[in-house]
Amino acid sequence: MAKPVIMPKAGITVESCIIGKWQKNVGDMVKVGDILFTYETDKAAFECESTEEGELLEIFYGDGEEVPCLVNVCAVGTKGDDVSALRPASGAAPAEAAEAAAPAVEEKKEESATAPAASASAPSADGLVRISPRAKGLAERSGVNYEGRTGTGPKGRIIEQDIRRFMLDKGAEAEEAAVAAPAAAASVPTPEFEDVKFSGIRRAISKSMIRSLSEAAQLTNHHTFDATAIQSYRAALKAAGDEYAGVTIGDMVLYAVSRTLLNHPDLNANMIGDDTIRHFKHVNLGVAVDTPRGLMVPTIFNADEKSLLEISREVKTLAEAARSGSISPDLLSGGSFTVSNLGSMGVEVFTPVINPPQTGILGVCTITQRVKEVGGEMKIYPAMGLSLTYDHRAVDGAPAARFMKELCANLEKITVLLAK
Amino acid sequence: MPNNLYVDPIEMRAAGKITFDDIPVNAYNKTVAEERSRYKDEDLVRIYRDITILREFESMLNSIKTQGMYNGVETTYPGPAHLSIGQEAAAVGQAYHLTKDDFNFGSHRSHSEILAKSLSCINKLSDEELMTIMENFIGGATLRSVEKMGPVNSVKELAIRFIVYGTLSEVFARKTGFHMGLGGSMHAFFLPFGVYPNNAIVGGSAPVATGAALYKRVNKKDGIVICNIGDGSLGCGPVWESFNFAAMDQLKMLWEDGVKGGLPVLFNVFNNSYGMGGQTRGETMAYDFLARIGAGITPNQMHAERIDGFNPLAVIDAMERKLALLRNGEGPVLLDTVTYRYSGHSTSDQNAYRAKEEIEAWREFDPIVTYRKSLVDAGVAADSSLEDILAETKERMTMICRHASDTTYSPYADMKADPAWVERLMFSNGKVESFGDAEPVVTGAKEDCSRVKQIADKCRSAFKDGKPVSKMKQFNIRDAIFEPLLDKYYTDSTLISYGEDVRDWGGAFAVYRGLPEVIPHTRLFNSPISEAAIVGSAVGYAMCGGRVVVELMYADFIGRAGDEIFNQMSKWQAMSAGILKMPIILRVSVGSKYGAQHSQDWTALCAHIPGLKVCFPATPWEAKGLMQSALNGTDPVVFFESQRIYDMGEMFKPEVPAEAYEIKFGDTNIVRTGDDVTILTVGAALYRAVKAADQLKEKFGLNAEVINLHSLVPLDYENIIKSVEKTGKVVLVSDACTRGSFLNDIANTITELCFDYLDAPVAVVGAKNWITPPFEFDEFFFPQESWILDAIHEKILPLKDYVPTQNYTEAEKLRTLREGV
Repeated sequence: MAKPVIMPKAGITVESCIIGKWQKNVGDMVKVGDILFTYETDKAAFECESTEEGELLEIFYGDGEEVPCLVNVCAVGTKGDDVSALRPASGAAPAEAAEAAAPAVEEKKEESATAPAASASAPSADGLVRISPRAKGLAERSGVNYEGRTGTGPKGRIIEQDIRRFMLDKGAEAEEAAVAAPAAAASVPTPEFEDVKFSGIRRAISKSMIRSLSEAAQLTNHHTFDATAIQSYRAALKAAGDEYAGVTIGDMVLYAVSRTLLNHPDLNANMIGDDTIRHFKHVNLGVAVDTPRGLMVPTIFNADEKSLLEISREVKTLAEAARSGSISPDLLSGGSFTVSNLGSMGVEVFTPVINPPQTGILGVCTITQRVKEVGGEMKIYPAMGLSLTYDHRAVDGAPAARFMKELCANLEKITVLLAK
Repeated sequence: MPNNLYVDPIEMRAAGKITFDDIPVNAYNKTVAEERSRYKDEDLVRIYRDITILREFESMLNSIKTQGMYNGVETTYPGPAHLSIGQEAAAVGQAYHLTKDDFNFGSHRSHSEILAKSLSCINKLSDEELMTIMENFIGGATLRSVEKMGPVNSVKELAIRFIVYGTLSEVFARKTGFHMGLGGSMHAFFLPFGVYPNNAIVGGSAPVATGAALYKRVNKKDGIVICNIGDGSLGCGPVWESFNFAAMDQLKMLWEDGVKGGLPVLFNVFNNSYGMGGQTRGETMAYDFLARIGAGITPNQMHAERIDGFNPLAVIDAMERKLALLRNGEGPVLLDTVTYRYSGHSTSDQNAYRAKEEIEAWREFDPIVTYRKSLVDAGVAADSSLEDILAETKERMTMICRHASDTTYSPYADMKADPAWVERLMFSNGKVESFGDAEPVVTGAKEDCSRVKQIADKCRSAFKDGKPVSKMKQFNIRDAIFEPLLDKYYTDSTLISYGEDVRDWGGAFAVYRGLPEVIPHTRLFNSPISEAAIVGSAVGYAMCGGRVVVELMYADFIGRAGDEIFNQMSKWQAMSAGILKMPIILRVSVGSKYGAQHSQDWTALCAHIPGLKVCFPATPWEAKGLMQSALNGTDPVVFFESQRIYDMGEMFKPEVPAEAYEIKFGDTNIVRTGDDVTILTVGAALYRAVKAADQLKEKFGLNAEVINLHSLVPLDYENIIKSVEKTGKVVLVSDACTRGSFLNDIANTITELCFDYLDAPVAVVGAKNWITPPFEFDEFFFPQESWILDAIHEKILPLKDYVPTQNYTEAEKLRTLREGV
């Protein structure tokens, strides 16, 4: 009798995953533990091992398809076994249907658990846009266009959870509109190209960034500070050897940020809707990590309570896990502020994009040689650049500058800060 | 069912016959001349004067209603004028011996009784007493207006003007009326003279007056009670219930010494031969002689007799004899007082139901003519001096009419300036620990009651150390109702409780079990199965200043006490402009298992009626707090209970406090918090809602906020609005049939107040609009936890992979509405 293999649940907040690539084909013999396929959440990639032994009889979802967690992905058994009972209800559905259901991934658990078949239904036959007063109010406040959309409420009524979903889709919609623009006139050489479908992570980054830029009022302040102190401290640690040798300038910036941020609650925060800000009691520091699959931002929880060495150690562990794809999705959210370091690549100034719903992100830039006047003489010193992008809805220019001023001062006297 | 009363089969089955005493018919036969030794001349003349005042008062109203004018005073008013022209001698004769300690209750046709009783009191009271009464009545407002009519030569004359003016301006709906115009012609009264409310419901005064007599008996107050009703009211069940209630055997056989005896109430029937136009003798009734029916009620035949109401001396004679019986605990008494009204039922009456000759024939015996002639014939007074009295009466009445018509002196309440005036009178919202000043009568210490000991051993929560306590050991809703009631028995001497089987049985649902061990019969007794008399007498008891808790066993029996709950208990506080208080708790229990006539939740009926507070506790914590609050209050409360949950322990609060505490009427009980959907519940549905909330959490990750409503009236929406603003999704659940359920009222209010926050229409989950089928089909009729999920799925938020059990589609709703089911 055929047995199913299900899509594993990759974290408590994960509701569905995208199949990366099948490693086995229909007809292959598989053993328990064989890698059947790779799959990814919007934040990490995993391998799915077979839980059954036998012939791979049927694959219900192909490469790139999104599959709800705990749903049957394939059937394993003896040739000739009936697999119809194992086929998921929507397994045979066309790819479009899977796409239509995809936004549910973004929703919080409670809401996605209630997503009904209605979500795939056509707009109402009578042409009436059904929308609840609550959803309508939310749509108006957040500038979401719901025309032509169908909701998940009874009779396709658009309800609150739909507007929240539409908010996430807004960016994607804009792109679709651009693609739909009239094609150019004929007789132009057809350029050669390959359409590569975004991976889950790419798509998540795309949505998150466009949402960030379309919803937040972002601007960036650029500062530099004298990096003499951190450079000499870095030299001292290097000399100390062992683990201490691994503490980088970037770790020191993280440390200084974790100690400065609590004095500036509006920056250690999340925006809730348009008019509420959530101040965090601790600094949960997101650290941007470049991985083969794209940008990932693991979180150092309670960074304000950790020592420089502990932060340094944790960054390395998290970055490694992110790069290998083994990081738990639960560690990829919950940040109250993010630090993104492009200094090692020689970037002198940049405008990082806020990771919503956070209110600020610090870009760490490279160190350049600058001159300054000291006692009537020109003196060369190492100047390190910091670029703070902040959400003007939550934070004004002056307070943002005050944060940077305090941060720079702390970095210039890193040993004093460490003594605190 | 007291077990000391032996039902003897030998006696019950023995042969024999029942005999009756002769019933006197118009036995009085003395002349004025013969009675001059019994009455002073001035008293005999004053009887004539009083008759003229009564006659002139109603002639004035007749003239105003038919011609818009009285003695040159142009005036009118839109309200009713049910006149008793012709019946004045009976009213004056009745009042002759009565004092302010004797209470009289009337009908829709009782102007004459108010005036006659007041005139009698004015005659008996000293000038000082009269001035005190008038000065203190509504802060002297009425007196101030009366004084503007001009100087008087005596306090008694001032008092006569006061009583006529107060009555007339009440009829005219003026603020200077005896209850600021809110009662009007059919509901007027004046307590300082013992004049208790008239009643616009035919026979409505019978149970109320019985309750007043009960108050006098239990609280050992002086005076007796007169219930004036018409012969038409003998067709009303509540009147017969009252006869029996006032005479029930236990009053003589079981009640304690000192309070033994039939209730001191005189049912006086002004027998004018017509109930509106229906002729009682010969058409609508079967008694032939009205006095006959007393013989059907008690072995002493209610001391009934027929007397001639056209002869004031015949009435006085009968009253003397009956008052002695009543004061001696020999009540109740029935009088068939023959009289006749020349006026129509109302001023629009065309008298189609009687011949002109009949009216003319009675005019020959009109007491205002015949009694006057008998005074002259006996030499008591010269006709000219009696003519002077008549002239004086007319002159006074004209002056009072002019004054009462003039809005300068007799203004209406200014509803424009004070639009909330009536609103403020709907509830008295008082807090009175005790209505009595006597030591409460009990037969033992509270601690000696076995129930108290039993409760002491119980766990005041449904859980102990996180584990469920056995049902027997839980302090349950029965205990929670019992506890504050027992306490109140020891603090308020006026508190009594009665109803069907409340004593030895402990109430059909054992709420009162143990009470008879410490509470005497007088304060806790089994009533006859007379729902109208139970509630109506409670109204009279409360009106006189006592606190009372009555029980109707099943809520379905509310129908049997419809008038008493919906017209009497609910309305008297406001109709009296706040003069009367109504501290009644009416306990009703919503049944299950007993089929269609014993299982319906009628909260909506009660909540619909202005003036009733309606609560429905669903947990022991709620039951105790609400009962305590009701017992300390001054308003009428319909206290709904559910037989499904009497044995429930406290599952939502840490425990039910042993000490007294109050829950404010209107507050709501948030038993579970949540962000995703709000479930509002009434009564026993709470427990199914909590289970539904569990399912929503476990299967669909939805956090439901569950709020139980302590009371339907009043209802503070604050928590509800907050919750709906948060969740945007609401389901209302109760066991009442859905059509007309109070939940629809709440749904409407939420829609109005929270429209912009709603993510879906408010969903109402009630019982089907059917008869309640047998208990075996309970799950098909009453809301189940799955119905709550169904409603959410179909109307609010589709639940993933959920298969509904009920058809909640719009098409089905339209179909059932179309079918009327």
